[in-house]
Amino acid sequence: MDDLFVKVTTKMILPFIQIYGIYVIIHGHLSPGGGFSGGAIFAASIVLYTLAYGLHKGQKRMPHSISSKVETGGILFYIGIGFVGILAGYPFLTNKAAGFPMGELGKVMSAGLIPMVTVAIGLKVMSTIVTLFHTMLEED
Amino acid sequence: MKLDLSLIANNINYIGAMVLFIIGLYTVLTHSNLIKKIIGINIMETSIFLFFVSIGYVKGAVAPILDPSTGEKIFVNPLPAAMILTGIVVAVSITAFSLSIIIKIHEAYGTIELDEIMKIRSVEVDE
Amino acid sequence: MSSLHFPVYILMLLLAFAVTIPLHKKPYGRKFQVLMLSVLGVSWVMALLELLKVLWDAPYSYTFGNYERGIGIEFLVDEFSALMTLVVLTLSVLIIIYALRDLEHEIESSRMYSYFTLVFLMIFSMIGMIFTNDMFNLYVFMEILSLTSVAIIAIKKKKDTLMASMKYLMMGAIASVTILMGIALIYMVTGALNMSEINLEISRVWALYPRNILLAMGFMLTGFGIKAAIFPLHNWLPDAHSSAPTPSSALLSGLVVKAYVFAIAKIMYRVIGENISVNIGITNYIIIFAVMSMIMGSVFALTQRDIKRRLAYSSVSQIGYIFLGLALASELGFSAALFHVISHAFMKSALFLSAGAIIYKTGIRDVKKLDGIGYEMPITMTVFSVGVLGMIGIPGTSGFMSKWYLGLAVLDAGHPELLAVILISSFLNALYYLPIIISAFLRERPGKPLVMHRDKLPRTMKVSMVIVALGSILIGLFPHLVMDIIQRAVPTFIGINLGL
Repeated sequence: MDDLFVKVTTKMILPFIQIYGIYVIIHGHLSPGGGFSGGAIFAASIVLYTLAYGLHKGQKRMPHSISSKVETGGILFYIGIGFVGILAGYPFLTNKAAGFPMGELGKVMSAGLIPMVTVAIGLKVMSTIVTLFHTMLEED
Repeated sequence: MKLDLSLIANNINYIGAMVLFIIGLYTVLTHSNLIKKIIGINIMETSIFLFFVSIGYVKGAVAPILDPSTGEKIFVNPLPAAMILTGIVVAVSITAFSLSIIIKIHEAYGTIELDEIMKIRSVEVDE
Repeated sequence: MSSLHFPVYILMLLLAFAVTIPLHKKPYGRKFQVLMLSVLGVSWVMALLELLKVLWDAPYSYTFGNYERGIGIEFLVDEFSALMTLVVLTLSVLIIIYALRDLEHEIESSRMYSYFTLVFLMIFSMIGMIFTNDMFNLYVFMEILSLTSVAIIAIKKKKDTLMASMKYLMMGAIASVTILMGIALIYMVTGALNMSEINLEISRVWALYPRNILLAMGFMLTGFGIKAAIFPLHNWLPDAHSSAPTPSSALLSGLVVKAYVFAIAKIMYRVIGENISVNIGITNYIIIFAVMSMIMGSVFALTQRDIKRRLAYSSVSQIGYIFLGLALASELGFSAALFHVISHAFMKSALFLSAGAIIYKTGIRDVKKLDGIGYEMPITMTVFSVGVLGMIGIPGTSGFMSKWYLGLAVLDAGHPELLAVILISSFLNALYYLPIIISAFLRERPGKPLVMHRDKLPRTMKVSMVIVALGSILIGLFPHLVMDIIQRAVPTFIGINLGL
């Protein structure tokens, strides 16, 4: 699409969508949302960019090599956090007993391993949705 | 048996979920366009999510977010909401995957109506 | 304490390897094959150690996150789960060794990495489904299994694979939605998702809300019936299993369908409990559907000319045997059904692998044109004959032992007419399998000799086929190895609650 209105509006509104997505991911343990919703909102911004500016520029902004590495890194980070529990002698994915810092109720840095896992899930979902979209557009 | 209106009005969520389920099943079975079948499966999954969430509702309760300043209250059951999040992910994956297969079918057969695909296939098998 | 973590080690090793496969940049070659087989070998050794540990001590449960049972996800490791995991890993290793050379001619080389990612994710989800003790965790693993098993059919881009995979995906999606409805109905009245906890409450709930339990059982039986291909709902299976690449057919027909049967067995006996299942009358309906499956599957197979479609319809009929054993609701019936799960996995894999070898070398898929092929491919046809003899039920093979146990269970439950059905079905099995062997070994080829597509069968394919056939003969000659483990595991399922 080569519409001037769409391009200018997209350029202005994109950072706000991304900040909202990052907010939902980081406050996943305090308010509704969490990894999947925040990741989907963040991915919507990149999909909007691809729709407005064309596939070539969209793929330069988020190339396939970076997104596949982010996907793999997300899951390996999750498995690594789970293994911290095993190294301490407790079952997989243990929260308090394995020594994660708990913090106070209601603050952002609290609840042990939940924020770290939420960030990993958010990154992975974002890269998956963008990869799906670019692959489906490439087929033509 | 007595069919008073309060019985229907109290359980309207469950009745709505069942009606949506049947509408979705009808759409999958009768339309011959492949994309309409996928829309039918999405309608069925939405009805299941409605059913699940309305199980956890407690009358006169608030959203299950713990706020340390206002004290203890009665909360809605948060467990079905967490399960539905996983269910939505599954529904999105199935939709994305079936749409990719439909793109390939369109390249191979030239059409996405099931009647015409069956005609092309029966001509091929007879050769 | 570290040996208790084995379920997690196996699952996380497979998942971590599956996720790092797309990072390989070099073209598909020798080093990747060696790496893949070594990862599978390590998992196999861990599964064997787990089985030995469970046989030495007692079954145990493992909760994630150090929470107690009602809050966290629980894995219940008993003897049959460990045995089934070992069988899944053994067959996967052998089929992947076969696939290393066979796949080069079936799918493009740029997709080989994706294929193995999907196979590893499939094995991961099957092992997860076998171990889990939590209803919603079962649903999540079932969805991963459903999506990846469609993907390894659709990865071969020909016209009929696309339509077959679309049909499988649609019916699988409807089945998943129906199963989730059943889970929601059970959660509504009991308020718990852990299978053992639901079992503790179910008798009290059955007195208060009988219709809820009846609806939930109906929905779940329909959903799992579509996925495990019982008679009226089996339409997707012949297309899907016959047009897929050969290693995918062997994996699907031998392992994936059995995982769903295991799940419905767990739900009927561990969650709902044996007396309620019999009281509702579900078991009578399953007996009717199983009998129709056994007979109609064989009748349809008689009319097929493509060799893989014939094997796929035979799968439908064998699943009927397993459901008949499950529906008898006695200890003998249950152990006979579980024994047939393992023996059918070996026999059907042997049949599919040797049929794939014939198609690889000669390109012929029609059954009537296989005259005299036993002289040119003796090892392949021997493996095929071992599988066929097992399917018919000749003494000395594992198929005979499973029919024997099933016959004893049927007589013990007081239904002698079902024994006649088993015998008729074995006769029909012979009717469509024996002509293939007879024409392959005993008939001369009319006209000009056979034109081969390729010269020699690769050694990896021959070795894996022979080992699968040897496994089947081993179970047939020493059935007590498997049957003892199953009979120790049955009390955990039916009736007695271990209180873990």
